[in-house]
Amino acid sequence: MTTAILSGLRVGFAHAMRRSTLTIGLTVLAVFVLAAIFAPLLTPGPPDVLDIGRRMRPPSSDHWMGTDEFGRDVYTRLVYGGRLSLGIGAMTAFFSAIFGVTLGLLAGFFPVLDRTLSRVIDAMMAFPDILLAIALVAALNPSVANVVLALTVVYTPRIARTVRASTLVIRELPYVEAARALGVSSGRILRVHVLRNLVSPIIVQGTFVFAYAMLAEASLSFLGVGASPERPSWGTMISAARSYYRQADWLALYPGLAIMIAVLSLQMVGDALRDVLDPKLRRSV
Amino acid sequence: MIGFLAHRLGDMLAILIVVAVMVFVVVRVLPGDPATILVGDNASPEAAALMRETLGLDEPIPVQFLIWARNLLRGDLGQSIFLGEPVLTVLAQRAEPTLFLTLMAVMISVLIALPAGIVAAVFRNTVIDRAVLAFAMMIASVPSFWLGLIFISTFAVAHPWFPVSGYGAPGASLAERLHCLVLPALVLGLIKSALITRFTRSSMLDVLHEDFILTCRAKGLGEWAVIMKHALRSAFIPILTIIGLGLALLLGGAIVTETVFALPGVGNLVVSAVLRRDYPVIQGALLVIASVYVIVNVAIDLLYALVDPRVRLR
Amino acid sequence: MSMRTKFLRLALLGSVVASLGLDPALAQEPKRGGTITVATVGEPTTLDPMVTTADLVGAITMHVFETLYTFGDGLTIVPLLAESDPIITDGGKTYTIKLRQGVKFHDGSVMTSADVLASFDRWKAVADRGKTAWSYLTSVTAPDAHTIELKLKEPYAPLLALLSLNNNAAAIMPASNQANPMTKYIGTGPYTIKERRPDQFVVLARFPDYTPRSDKPTGYGGRRTAYIDEIRYVPVPDPNTRVEGSLSGQYDYADSLPVAAMPRLQGQKEVTPVLQKNFGYPTISINNKGGLLTNMTLRQALFAAVNNEDMLKAAFGSTEFYTLSGSLYPEGFRFHTKEGIEAFNQNNPAKARELAAKAGYKGEPIRFLTTTQFDHFYKIALVATETWRKAGFNIDLQVVDWGTLLTRRNNPALYEMSTVGAPFLAEPSLTFTAGSERPGWWSSEAKDRVVGAFNAESDPAKRAAMFGQVQKLIYAEVPYIKVGDYNVLRAKSNRLQGVIPSSWSYFWNAWVDK
Repeated sequence: MTTAILSGLRVGFAHAMRRSTLTIGLTVLAVFVLAAIFAPLLTPGPPDVLDIGRRMRPPSSDHWMGTDEFGRDVYTRLVYGGRLSLGIGAMTAFFSAIFGVTLGLLAGFFPVLDRTLSRVIDAMMAFPDILLAIALVAALNPSVANVVLALTVVYTPRIARTVRASTLVIRELPYVEAARALGVSSGRILRVHVLRNLVSPIIVQGTFVFAYAMLAEASLSFLGVGASPERPSWGTMISAARSYYRQADWLALYPGLAIMIAVLSLQMVGDALRDVLDPKLRRSV
Repeated sequence: MIGFLAHRLGDMLAILIVVAVMVFVVVRVLPGDPATILVGDNASPEAAALMRETLGLDEPIPVQFLIWARNLLRGDLGQSIFLGEPVLTVLAQRAEPTLFLTLMAVMISVLIALPAGIVAAVFRNTVIDRAVLAFAMMIASVPSFWLGLIFISTFAVAHPWFPVSGYGAPGASLAERLHCLVLPALVLGLIKSALITRFTRSSMLDVLHEDFILTCRAKGLGEWAVIMKHALRSAFIPILTIIGLGLALLLGGAIVTETVFALPGVGNLVVSAVLRRDYPVIQGALLVIASVYVIVNVAIDLLYALVDPRVRLR
Repeated sequence: MSMRTKFLRLALLGSVVASLGLDPALAQEPKRGGTITVATVGEPTTLDPMVTTADLVGAITMHVFETLYTFGDGLTIVPLLAESDPIITDGGKTYTIKLRQGVKFHDGSVMTSADVLASFDRWKAVADRGKTAWSYLTSVTAPDAHTIELKLKEPYAPLLALLSLNNNAAAIMPASNQANPMTKYIGTGPYTIKERRPDQFVVLARFPDYTPRSDKPTGYGGRRTAYIDEIRYVPVPDPNTRVEGSLSGQYDYADSLPVAAMPRLQGQKEVTPVLQKNFGYPTISINNKGGLLTNMTLRQALFAAVNNEDMLKAAFGSTEFYTLSGSLYPEGFRFHTKEGIEAFNQNNPAKARELAAKAGYKGEPIRFLTTTQFDHFYKIALVATETWRKAGFNIDLQVVDWGTLLTRRNNPALYEMSTVGAPFLAEPSLTFTAGSERPGWWSSEAKDRVVGAFNAESDPAKRAAMFGQVQKLIYAEVPYIKVGDYNVLRAKSNRLQGVIPSSWSYFWNAWVDK
């Protein structure tokens, strides 16, 4: 009797937690995204106004988060920085999903292609992600588009692998086999049956890629192969702050917190979405 | 079993060939060239051209690839342009800090993650479980270099318990060298522990629902005995997998941390090699790092096959 | 001994020392022995002193390899492996140089004119400066085992400075060890290379059979004594790590520290900040050969807009670390002059717009290369870009890594401007800014005339006077933009004594106080 009550309580607790996780995650994320979009309305001026006479002022009522080594307002740069940091994360997630799904479906559905594609995917996954991205960005020259491209190359195989595995399972499902027996074309089976079943795992994976890509972008900027040190991003801000962390710790503090909170909210959303969209996976990672 | 082995090894070889080609292509499209960097910022373009010739970089790219591939088959990764030593020697010199750092980091992460994951699984869906998961999620959200900077300013500058960076003076004792690795290993270990905690938790949850555990409980074994003795043992192989892959990834992937703490490891070597376009070193290092990952992967597969004969049929 | 007691003692000794005419730094008895650790800005790209112009390589290898001449106090040229000043005849076209006798190489052999001839050949083959010198030389011969004779096409005053530099150096090595790439490091210097572990350290050890000069030390010249047993150079690319390491006593000497660290280094017991005045001058190099800025009026337009003070302040913080000076050589240098500097630091956007219109500029993108690998370059570039954009120029700021910058800079089709640094060299003609064959490629009819005459004059006093015309021309034609002079901050542990501040730090004649 007590066990039943206890487990009932547990389920109720878990349910409530899951919903609040999703709500909190989505709310925080929305605040960050809206702030980035409406940055001009939320800040006193453009992010790149130099004021050499006011270098490295600590936080004050004029400059909520102080000024940096060029006398630029840290708060303004932080708000604008979200554009690049969130933008690169979102674009990477989007493109990785598109290419990953395409490659994964092709490999999973056409055994002829599977051997070659799987080798390439495995080979790409053998490189630590940051390492591959560094080499690619250095090769392609630092720019926003090239950072997105490099990170897409890094994360596409990860999504492709998931999609391929799911496709292999789905195409053996009885109703898919039935459809094939009825003479439905491969393209239609892919679109109608396989893709539909893949939507939830892709959304979940995409959310995590979004989060990891933000961290990776920050690392790239930190190593000096980021998009552009001229345009504010949270990673660039921390990287520049490194020289001053003794006399101006706020320079690294706020962008660091921004990355952490944004990535955390994305992970919360991803986690909760997985539970909601795919009850089968509820107990796994 | 032999057929399976041959199949997996064939796979491995194919992947390694793809890796080698990718490495060469990526490295050679890098703009900038080592000759210009070597002759310095005050030199003329002619001096750079001459140096390119000396280094054999004036050959057409396909020819250079063939030369590189031929030497590769002989086990020769080439000669570093800047360091004047064979790439293998250079890599071997950098192996120690990376190896020790990786081992320490994995040890730390396992020490944190195993207990945390087990406790979370046992008390699933309670406040304890949620707290563990929340903490893991938070740790996974922190940029590693930021955590590194915070650790340095707290434990090396404000409280000078550990060196700020580096790997000791020339001729430093093993203890001194390991002392240098504590902070970076803590950073890596903490961040790595997030994934292992979650994985341990879910593996344990899977196992705790299986019939033989119910049987054990029915036999009247104490709950902790069941968990520690039986459940953990069954959950251990998947956990080991994730630890093994983590190990393989860290061996080449501690780049950011090695940079923050100025450790003369493999990751740092790759970054500086990219910045000075030391082609043979970038190619060699990338190849070795990727190969380690591929080999560990295959080793894990084989391990599975040994433990679970059904795998071989797949 | 703490700084304070040392000062007291020096103060007491001061009058005595002054009356004896001794260098106060030598008032204390040097000791033999000990090891020092020197934190450098990075890994030397090579230890061959000939192949690169990198300062870091020169600063390390000058302990190992020596040249015929070197720079004394006030950047005068003094003999090192040469016995004495050259005998110049034939209207400046023949140099006869006597070599010192009995100078030993690290392999035990004794230097003769054959080694010098072989080294000159190698210098010509692998070094840019060697090629420059050889474009004036017609022959180098050895009348006997201890004399060499250089013959020139036409008088060329910068020759001795070329022979004195420590980077791209005309270093003398045994005729039997001239391989390229270099495999064994054999020179005549007070130190030998004991071990190199890339990205970890380069260890130099005292050469016991070093043959010193007998004249008193002056600059890099004169008597060199290796008191310290071992010098360990460790590459520490991160400037903050160099600061922390100096404070914690890990390094005895640390190069190029962020100026922001100054207050932390002051008032410490174990470490002293060392400010090297007038270390060098960052410049915005302009491509005179290809692209938009071949148009001189447009160069003048850009030049009119710049605000040097803002650039310097952003890059170096306070005036303690920079000097807002338009003179190409700071005060105290032979070539210091104020000729033409009224055009420096105009900060005049209106004039810039006017000139730009006159030049026919219609907002075409101006490509500006810089790198974050050298923090002050990036800061200068960012401030300059902002200033120019406000004045209506369309600046395409390209932030790349140093390697890419160096490579792109060699191709006149790829850029308009780039940030580079320059040390104050004893010879103005040797800086990249003056050469028409180096990136920048400044060449004009007026330049050929003015710089040509300057290079042909061999009387140092006349040359100093003539340099005013060169500087004036540079401000008129704007082949590059000088940003200002800067000082470099270094840290020295208090146990390390007798280091004479200089552009390239050297540790012979220095000792460790235990």
